[in-house]
Amino acid sequence: MITLNHYLVLAAALFCIGLFGVLTSKNALRVVISVELILNAVNINLAAFSVFVAPRQAIGLNFVVFFMVVAAAEFGLALAIIIALHRTEDIGAIDAIRKLKG
Amino acid sequence: MTLQLAFFYVYALVALAGAIGLVTARQLVHAVMCFFATLLAVAGLFLLLGSEFLAAMQLFVYGGAMTVLVLFALMFTGAAPEGGRATRGAVRWLALGVTAAFFGLLTVAFATAGWRISPAQPMDVAAIATILFSRLVVPFEIAGLALTIALIGTIVLAREDDVLEAVEPVEEAGGEA
Repeated sequence: MITLNHYLVLAAALFCIGLFGVLTSKNALRVVISVELILNAVNINLAAFSVFVAPRQAIGLNFVVFFMVVAAAEFGLALAIIIALHRTEDIGAIDAIRKLKG
Repeated sequence: MTLQLAFFYVYALVALAGAIGLVTARQLVHAVMCFFATLLAVAGLFLLLGSEFLAAMQLFVYGGAMTVLVLFALMFTGAAPEGGRATRGAVRWLALGVTAAFFGLLTVAFATAGWRISPAQPMDVAAIATILFSRLVVPFEIAGLALTIALIGTIVLAREDDVLEAVEPVEEAGGEA
């Protein structure tokens, strides 16, 4: 029998791995993918809570749909920024981006 | 029930292995492929939760579009010479400690939290659609608007600079007239 805690612990593990990737990656593309991993972990949480805690309403599942929309928008913009940075500055490592530094 | 639990563990194992591969692989292409495995496993988890719609969306949006998009960006930016793990060892150990401590904290919180759990009840796509197009119809429209704005912003950000210069005088002339 799968319980709510199964999903929660798995989502927490995925979240923490994604957090580790964001904290340690030097490549901008890998940072963006790690953020997507974090969002995926949150999606699992939302769906699991919706099914286990409030099964009468599908609100949590709708939140997952909205999360996917926002994640897609964020992902497209992040990739566009990475491509623009690569074109103008030839930059792939995030700590080499200093244009906005005062 | 036992079969479901077995499938859950298979999906969880694939998801965790893919996630670890994402943050540890030296080649960025390998990292993207590991992430693809994670996305497929998460789609399987949505299936186990009884939501086929979310599983299909996960496959379309993440498994299909995003993986292709990130591979495209990867090829476009020339396979990224800084693809390997370049952070210093001390930073990585510190990050590992922080994230492990955070995971421990979350696990303790889950173990002590008293959710009022009702028996899991699968919801079909009609249950999602009923709420999405009645109570949540305004956020639905706003999400569509946000997606459109993000698309336009993506085009503006990613297009060539000489195109920008060629367009600008025309816009100025239009503004004066």
